[in-house]
Amino acid sequence: MALLSVRDLRHTYPNGFSAIKGLSFDVTAGEFLVVIGLSGSGKSTLLRCINRLLEPTSGSITMNGTDVTHCVGEDLRRHRSSIGMIFQHFNLIGRHTVLDNVLYGTLGRTPAWASITRKFTKEQRDRALANLDIVGIADKAGVRADSLSGGQQQRVAIARALMQEPSILLADEPVASLDPATSHSVMKYLERINKEFGTTVICNLHFLSLVRQYASRVLALKSGEAVFEGSPLEITDEWFRTIYGDDAVEVEIR
Amino acid sequence: MKALRTVFALGIDVLVGAYVTSACLFIIMPAMISDSISIPSPYGAISVSIGSILTLLLSVGSKVSLGRAVLYGQLPTGRARSIQRHLAWITFVVTVISGWIVTEISPIEFFSGQGLAGAGRIFGALFTPEFDIIGEALSAMMETVFTAFMATIIAVPVSFVLSFAAARNVMATDTTGRIVYVVLRALLNIMRSMEPIIWAIIFSVWVGIGPFAGMLALVVHTIASLTKQYSEQIEDVNDGPIEAISATGASRLQVLWFAIVPQCVIPFLSFTIYRWDINVRMATIIGFVGGGGIGYLLTQYQGLSRYHEVGMLVIIITAVVWILDVISARVRAALK
Ligand SMILES: Nc1ncnc2c1ncn2[C@@H]1O[C@H](COP(=O)(O)OP(=O)(O)OP(=O)(O)O)[C@@H](O)[C@H]1O
Ligand SMILES: [Mg+2]
Repeated sequence: MALLSVRDLRHTYPNGFSAIKGLSFDVTAGEFLVVIGLSGSGKSTLLRCINRLLEPTSGSITMNGTDVTHCVGEDLRRHRSSIGMIFQHFNLIGRHTVLDNVLYGTLGRTPAWASITRKFTKEQRDRALANLDIVGIADKAGVRADSLSGGQQQRVAIARALMQEPSILLADEPVASLDPATSHSVMKYLERINKEFGTTVICNLHFLSLVRQYASRVLALKSGEAVFEGSPLEITDEWFRTIYGDDAVEVEIR
Repeated sequence: MKALRTVFALGIDVLVGAYVTSACLFIIMPAMISDSISIPSPYGAISVSIGSILTLLLSVGSKVSLGRAVLYGQLPTGRARSIQRHLAWITFVVTVISGWIVTEISPIEFFSGQGLAGAGRIFGALFTPEFDIIGEALSAMMETVFTAFMATIIAVPVSFVLSFAAARNVMATDTTGRIVYVVLRALLNIMRSMEPIIWAIIFSVWVGIGPFAGMLALVVHTIASLTKQYSEQIEDVNDGPIEAISATGASRLQVLWFAIVPQCVIPFLSFTIYRWDINVRMATIIGFVGGGGIGYLLTQYQGLSRYHEVGMLVIIITAVVWILDVISARVRAALK
């Protein structure tokens, strides 16, 4: 059975713009699915529908057999907390420490009052440190998050997502504001989490060279519709022009 | 929607015509001819109507419309633009001339020998202050500073809570939220547009003349102002952390506390210190109408024409306001 199953998904923004126009696909546990497509093709919208930061206009999203398309309240919190997410701009709380930022990954399972009065358990603190260790920056636990470099901030964001013990990790252009070397280091952490912990990863990427290196499967969007679904090796020049338009030229990142 | 815009613009055009003709007719002409002339009202009414109809026709018949320009920044081209520019200038010049007449600006009185002598006397008194009242003055000043401080401290938690309900990005998620937002914003605007001095008059009747009345007046005004400033800051926060914290499954309260508040604390502190600074000044003025403190003392000595004592009070007020201004500016700069 598929871990995540998307059927005829549509999302229309309040201003009437239709960003996703009928998408259907399945994600099996353990996959590293990469979503590609031009700017504005709906990649971010798709990820935000999956973890229900956005509510789909129609269609359905089923996770582990549970329909989460329109869930609300506690069900929505539980759904979101079972999916980790990292962002292009890291989105850490800059004024707070690295350790605090990682602990915020537990918010979905901590009662509001306990979290506001900072009653994080010993177990949670230990796990936060362990997760920082996984991304190699346990020594930075006590410093302010905004004092770190971009690559380090993204690793903190990964540790925050790991705190959720997610069954899916969403990554929205996680390396788009990093230099090539740092990009690879961050992608390697995602790969490791995927391979070692078996966490399913769904990742939006711009550079095809990264796609070929890390993806186990590729979904290409164009104007909110799927135009390609398959192995990264199958993306021929012809497919490339279908996805990115006739004038596009491939840029490499090594 | 488009019809409504047109109606608003036309309304402004009609008002401009009516205003310019009536200012000429009832302010400028009487002042030029003699002070006592009065235009019989039927003629006045007819002329004003002609004025407004003229601008209305201009607006409907051609592209000349100050209303559209002011409301929507729509400017005509060519000849219409030049006419419109003349119309704007006429309105401006008529306003300046009328303003001059209405405020009774009079260089003759300003520079008259008698007037200058009076001013000299008072200035002299102010610069030879009566030091005997320094104890009384300082204790009244302390009362004023504490009034301002307490008003600020009491208003801060109220404003903090209200500001989230007055922030569009927090409230616009559902219909109830939007209604609360609109109603609260309207209430705050009304509260803010009532000057603290009016609140002071109300409260001095309610709880009696004294610092308590002054403080209550300041509390009301401070809540309104701080809530507006705080909520605008909240509307300005970066969406990224809000998304990230929401994505962990956090509740709305947790999103407020962990994603929004950390982005706001420093600006909030800065606004609050500045507010206290403003409140010290306002508390002085509020004293004039029964809010206690140094302002109240000032009106008493001024009523008795004891200008040496007034001089002492003015020096203390100036010094304290200046010192607080410097300190608050320093602290706010350090917070950046
Ligand atoms: N809040 C919004 N309201 C209206 N339209 C939006 C909103 N957010 C995104 N869109 C539009 O929806 C379309 C898809 O946006 P989306 O962010 O999903 O694209 P994307 O593939 O992630 O692009 P990028 O590579 O630039 O991040 C775009 O055309 C965008 O302009
Ligand atoms: Mg995007």
